[in-house]
Amino acid sequence: MNETKVPFEATISDQAVSLPEKREEELPGRDSISILIGGAAGTGIMTLEKILTGAFKRSGYFVFSTKEYMSRVRGGSNTTLLRIADAPVNAPCWYTDIFIALDTDALSHAHERLTDHTIVLADENITHEEIEITKIPVSRALKELGGRHYANSYVTGVIFGIFGLDEAVLTESMEALFDEEEIHKNKAAMHQGVVYGQSLKDLPFPKLPGQLQQKTNSMHLMDGSSASGFGFLAGGCNMITAYPMSPSTGVLNFMASMSEHFTLLVEQSEDEIASLNMVLGGWFGGARAMTSTSGGGFALMSEAVSLSGMSETPAVIYLAQRPGPATGLPTRSEQGDLNLAIYSGHGYFGRIVLAPGDLQECIDFGYLAFELADRYQMPVITLSDQYLADSIGMLKRVDFSAYVQRRYILPTDALYERYKFTENGITPRGVPGLGEGLVVSTSDEHDERGQITESSHMRDKMVKKRKKKISLAILEAHSPKVMGEGSIAVIGWGSTKGVITEVLRELADPRLFQVHFVWVHPLDPRHLEMLKETKTNIVIENNVTGEFSDILKKHDIDIHHRILQADGFAFFTDLLKEKLYNLVKEQK
Amino acid sequence: MKHPLDRTDIDNAWCPGCGNFAILKLLKEVLTELELDPKNTVIVSGIGQAAKTPYYIGTHMFCGLHGRALPVSAALKLSNPALTVIAEGGDGDMYGEGGNHFLHTIRRNPDIVHIVHNNMVYGLTKGQASPTSQKGFKTPVQVKGVNNEPFNPVSVALALKAGFVSRVNIGNYTHAKSVLKEAFLHKGYALVDVFQPCVVFNKVNTYKWFKENTAEIEDSHDSSNLLSAMQKALENAPVPIGIFYQTMQSTFEENLRGDDTRALYSLSHDIDKLQLLFGAY
Ligand SMILES: Cc1ncc(C[n+]2csc(CCOP(=O)(O)OP(=O)(O)O)c2C)c(N)n1
Ligand code: SF4
Repeated sequence: MNETKVPFEATISDQAVSLPEKREEELPGRDSISILIGGAAGTGIMTLEKILTGAFKRSGYFVFSTKEYMSRVRGGSNTTLLRIADAPVNAPCWYTDIFIALDTDALSHAHERLTDHTIVLADENITHEEIEITKIPVSRALKELGGRHYANSYVTGVIFGIFGLDEAVLTESMEALFDEEEIHKNKAAMHQGVVYGQSLKDLPFPKLPGQLQQKTNSMHLMDGSSASGFGFLAGGCNMITAYPMSPSTGVLNFMASMSEHFTLLVEQSEDEIASLNMVLGGWFGGARAMTSTSGGGFALMSEAVSLSGMSETPAVIYLAQRPGPATGLPTRSEQGDLNLAIYSGHGYFGRIVLAPGDLQECIDFGYLAFELADRYQMPVITLSDQYLADSIGMLKRVDFSAYVQRRYILPTDALYERYKFTENGITPRGVPGLGEGLVVSTSDEHDERGQITESSHMRDKMVKKRKKKISLAILEAHSPKVMGEGSIAVIGWGSTKGVITEVLRELADPRLFQVHFVWVHPLDPRHLEMLKETKTNIVIENNVTGEFSDILKKHDIDIHHRILQADGFAFFTDLLKEKLYNLVKEQK
Repeated sequence: MKHPLDRTDIDNAWCPGCGNFAILKLLKEVLTELELDPKNTVIVSGIGQAAKTPYYIGTHMFCGLHGRALPVSAALKLSNPALTVIAEGGDGDMYGEGGNHFLHTIRRNPDIVHIVHNNMVYGLTKGQASPTSQKGFKTPVQVKGVNNEPFNPVSVALALKAGFVSRVNIGNYTHAKSVLKEAFLHKGYALVDVFQPCVVFNKVNTYKWFKENTAEIEDSHDSSNLLSAMQKALENAPVPIGIFYQTMQSTFEENLRGDDTRALYSLSHDIDKLQLLFGAY
């Protein structure tokens, strides 16, 4: 075999990787408007979302969008919510300023989200007893154009017309999505929409916030799945073996699309059991492999998570949560699999669980997952959820050269022992074909050579070796991000970051400050000390029992209040604000 | 006598007289005769008596979970196509717990050799029926005897058009050796189902039984003909042994990697390209 070298060789004694540059957290938008669009699945509502987010960004606004959809391919009633602001927005709101109904069902579906001030737009044929509707002639226009599927383009036009925005910008955004054949008719539909929208200018529409063209030009627009994918690529991922399951499929699709540009091997496995075993086979051979799944699939993987622990084979698992148990709500959101991630598998072994909360953190911690798995030779699970994976937001330019790629594999010598005892519990990892030694990996309890043993002394020493790795990993845990100061800590983890930030800014209560955890397991007790000093600790979680609160309690942190929600939705800023306000108004 | 591929000072956990010993010897001889470098050879196994084979041979090994050797093997081969990869285990391991992987690995066609020690019983867990146990076979669990139709790995592999399908009887050592060699020389997935007596838990399918109930496939058999291979696979009095079918197809690694055979550990991503792709968002 040819002499091959490992690029970026590293050892555990090298310093832990810190993430590139400390970033200023930007405050959420001061001024924003919201537009909710409702329609059936399969009618192009997602295309509409893409065109509009792109066009608003191009027009100099910060945009954020999130969707809510039924688990069916056609029909049903789905919505997309857009927020347009003068600074970053990273959370949905429940009540909406403008609502556009593409069919009658959408009206009943979104009824609760309308206020007295909401302007409702719908086709002339749509009526509702209780809702006042501003009619737009969608179907009439479409009849002339010859097809229902131009409705979305027409509606985007109406929105741009209403606000007097530049039609050329909308066209640009559209051109990125349609091919030659379709673009012509879509443009025509859009133009008619714009003209009609302009004619509505006397209605009391909310004012758009100020434009910040220069700022938004330098920003990027993407969904959480893509951001996670960029993070994994920055971490050197070159193999993904996965079985499709919503809402993790976004990452699988993204990685597959990137396999056209990189040596990145993508295999759809026969099941999740195979997925994670393949990941282990890949790492054993020197690949940087990962799998993507959701709770139900991860449940099947627990056997191989345990194997990763025993054989000390690294693994990266992207787990996008959705409500369970069992098949639960396939297309909805929840932070309900934290315990599953932390406790799955049998026997005692170390693992790291990360839960990024926004696009930038998806990139940072996607990268870090690979670095950590390789460094500690253990499974690393990155948690996302449907809400974070599917919502679209903006982030600043990322400098990928700042993510140092390191590979913790060494050429072996003839006396190489895969599980040799070392001071810190980590044995340098060899791979077959690189060097003179034989690499012997096993799921059975073993001696330093990797041979099966039932010696109680050896068992004891190996258990301690694996335990040492956990102690070492804890020392490297990233501390929670603390935003602001005060006497009442509002604590969250993962995807609730944006909503909590916005709520705290809106409440402007000097007692409240935010504590956001991304590194959720194992926790470093030193990082929690500050929570013993606060007067009140409130944990906000998107699950029914407060899984993370319980973990904090185990670390002797008093949890005074929990705000929990497990209805299939992520938190909404306006509703959460009210809840938190009511909770703290009585407090000293 | 010590073989260069022996691991020294390792305690063997097999029962005296077990057919596994001969399979181990056969494997060592074939690897040596084909001059396969142990430093570029990995044996991947699952769990069971048969799956302990890698512990007794001086190559790289990955001994994973019950039934899971095949997905590990396929991904390993993908990560470094220059390695010789062998997946090894028992009939319970490979056809029972790992049945789904068996089907899908054949469909992928990775260039690996798949050796199944078929003793028609679960050895390690002390004598329950395996998927290949014969009807009527009595065990502490199947107290009235096995009711289920035995799994026929050869006909199943043929139904999936596996690239190389064979069965041998370890009691017929010379014949087994020639077939195993062919399996290693075959490019793509190669199944070698090996009849192997479990002298402790299977008192029916003994050395003698296998000898009396198997017959080498005659030279006139056209191993490129899928239909006649299938016909042979369904015969059972006697049970044919030898190469049933062989055909060349592109492999899993080739399909995903083209002719790029570099080990993935030697590669890194082009950061400028990543930056550019990000910039397009
Ligand atoms: C998930 C799981 N289930 C069950 C077992 C217990 N188990 C160990 S070996 C084995 C059967 C092995 O039979 P076979 O593959 O025929 O190998 P043999 O021991 O006969 O060589 C079983 C059921 C296990 N280790 N893991
Ligand atoms: S139990 Fe059977 S298969 Fe296992 S070693 Fe003993 S004889 Fe061989």
